[in-house]
Amino acid sequence: MSASNGAPANIDLSVDIGGVTLTNPTIAASGCYNRGAEFGRVVDISAYGAITLKSVTREPRLGNAMPRIALTPAGMLNAIGLEGPGIDYFVAHEAPKLSSVPTVVIASAAGFTVGEFVDVASAIDGLPGVAAIELDVSCPNVDSEGECFAVDPRTTDAVVAAVKRRVKLPVIAKLTPNVADIRPIARAAEEAGADAISLVNSLRAMAIDVERARPTLANGTGGLTGPAIRPVAVYQVWESAQTVRIPIIGMGGIETGRDALELMMAGASAVAIGTANFRDPLVAAHVRDAIAEEARRRGFASVRALTGLANPGFAGKRWPADRRPQRLGVSR
Amino acid sequence: MASDAPLLETATLISREQVAPGFWCLGFRSPRIARAAGSASYVAVDVPGVFSVRLPLGIWTTRDDEFSLLFREWGDRTRRLARLSVGSGVSCIGPLGNHFSIPVKGSTALIAAGGIGIVPFWLLTRELRAAGVNVRAIVGARTKAHLNGVAQLREAGADVTVCTDDGSEGDKAMVLDLVKRVHAANVIYGCGPLGMLRALCAHASENRIQCEISMEETFGCSMGTCWGCVVPVRRGSQQGSGYPPSPRDSRTYDFARVCVDGTVFPASDVLWLEAYA
Ligand SMILES: Cc1cc2nc3c(=O)[nH]c(=O)nc-3n(C[C@H](O)[C@H](O)[C@H](O)COP(=O)(O)OP(=O)(O)OC[C@H]3O[C@@H](n4cnc5c(N)ncnc54)[C@H](O)[C@@H]3O)c2cc1C
Ligand SMILES: Cc1cc2nc3c(=O)[nH]c(=O)nc-3n(C[C@H](O)[C@H](O)[C@H](O)COP(=O)(O)O)c2cc1C
Ligand code: FES
Repeated sequence: MSASNGAPANIDLSVDIGGVTLTNPTIAASGCYNRGAEFGRVVDISAYGAITLKSVTREPRLGNAMPRIALTPAGMLNAIGLEGPGIDYFVAHEAPKLSSVPTVVIASAAGFTVGEFVDVASAIDGLPGVAAIELDVSCPNVDSEGECFAVDPRTTDAVVAAVKRRVKLPVIAKLTPNVADIRPIARAAEEAGADAISLVNSLRAMAIDVERARPTLANGTGGLTGPAIRPVAVYQVWESAQTVRIPIIGMGGIETGRDALELMMAGASAVAIGTANFRDPLVAAHVRDAIAEEARRRGFASVRALTGLANPGFAGKRWPADRRPQRLGVSR
Repeated sequence: MASDAPLLETATLISREQVAPGFWCLGFRSPRIARAAGSASYVAVDVPGVFSVRLPLGIWTTRDDEFSLLFREWGDRTRRLARLSVGSGVSCIGPLGNHFSIPVKGSTALIAAGGIGIVPFWLLTRELRAAGVNVRAIVGARTKAHLNGVAQLREAGADVTVCTDDGSEGDKAMVLDLVKRVHAANVIYGCGPLGMLRALCAHASENRIQCEISMEETFGCSMGTCWGCVVPVRRGSQQGSGYPPSPRDSRTYDFARVCVDGTVFPASDVLWLEAYA
């Protein structure tokens, strides 16, 4: 399948995320796709404009006990617990395979202290085949009793600024939706130098096994993903797009082209897809083609014209940094 | 026999039978998947009509271009699948998972199946018989209505003894009680509820009998990317992640993914941890 297969001709599908050019706006979400080899057994993964790797931590982690997954209406809960080999093993054994991935690779760094983020991001910086680093600032911060970094503008700033000082690759800050107001967090990430933001990560949630009278997940709580969270994602992308000028990668419950268009029209420059791969391995191709078709239908030469189309307060690229638009009367 | 790469194929529903209240056998035409399936192969089914991740179901029987699924109505996905009309197309990925290993000609294999855990054993029985292995099978269930597939297993060439918890069919006994009475087995294969599998592994270990079990967990991706379906295995087990030890905790085991590293594991590699019971 070529990158333009099924998509209308003459539409420019490319997007720019913090200096990285993607052949189309679809991205595989972190934690759902590894480096594509598994899904590559059944589909052509180059349909994705980019693949985000599973978040890597400094130390190896066994992750949580099982059950780690609970299925919920129009979605699922996961509590994997960042199981992974740690950065040294990643650099030695997994990074060498990245050059053969047939699309852009975004690595993801996670940490429980600012220092861990810096160590992991620095180790990733310069690895062949990695085009950008996403910071999973939705991780719990052990220095503040497990609150996650991205619930507070100050800790968001601390992580992003520290990493930006040390790495050359573009940095994407991945924000959590578990906040009362996403705007100060998005702004903090931008002001700390993030080249892009991505949102949303999973929503903290829970299910109870009524038969056994205990939480279904061994971890108790988990992260809700899938179509159930899409309206939350649309809203938070909308709010962020009125606040920051850096590109936004929108995600959360995308299953179809229409879903992706909601996020783009709210202000996302690219869209990431996680849980929907677990149902439809061809989802990236479908979404990509639908985005292109929408651009064609509207007479746009580029899919980039779709970004922020529904959002009159969209800040990206339209106003100088010192003249951010007034907030529209969006009721909260 | 089993091929390496799974296939994404639209299977056509060709038959649909309620074999007992809440239990269904569905036949599909899906030439590529049917011909590639081996023992313990499963398919990941995209059940139309509701958002969910793919539903993993074991492949029960195969014949030329066709395979069948035997399943219980557990919840949303199995309920909807059972109500599809004949002729519907259903997107399947398969065959997925590894296989049971086949012992040398002339050995005696003992199959221990609990309830719907009979599913991986039709294909296994065929493979064992083709390899000249004698097949005994103990199939147990809570009650008669939960005891499905026994006739087909016999047709495949297994010498089957049945039991139920309530005595409504066969012996009133647990699978393990009958397993313990079979002394001639060179290898034991198990699939069923966790409690049964745990006891079976203990029995095999005490009696130094080679044993393999097919396991189950809640699946996310069914493809090996999400790490949601893991079970703990002995460190150094071939199927474990092989990641370096973690300084953050003192755990001394690895996790293996049931979906792609399994579903079949040597009993001696599986750990039965507290969190698991
Ligand atoms: C590799 C693999 C192969 C499988 N093969 C088969 C098969 O051949 N036939 C078959 O009937 N099932 C099989 N299963 C089990 C089946 O995939 C699950 O039961 C699945 O959860 C059913 O989905 P659902 O949406 O219908 O129900 P869900 O909505 O997922 O579950 C409904 C309710 O039933 C409970 N439940 C679900 N599954 C089980 C279980 N196995 N034991 C006890 N309680 C449970 C859940 O906790 C929930 O409360 C297999 C599972 C795996 C991982
Ligand atoms: C099983 C699973 C594992 C995930 N692991 C990570 C992770 O390691 N790092 C991360 O930043 N996000 C992780 N996520 C969140 C996704 O990247 C994404 O933000 C979220 O799932 C919302 O998108 P979706 O509804 O399309 O799945 C994970 C999600 C799932 C379902
Ligand atoms: S179900 Fe995702 S790794 Fe097994």
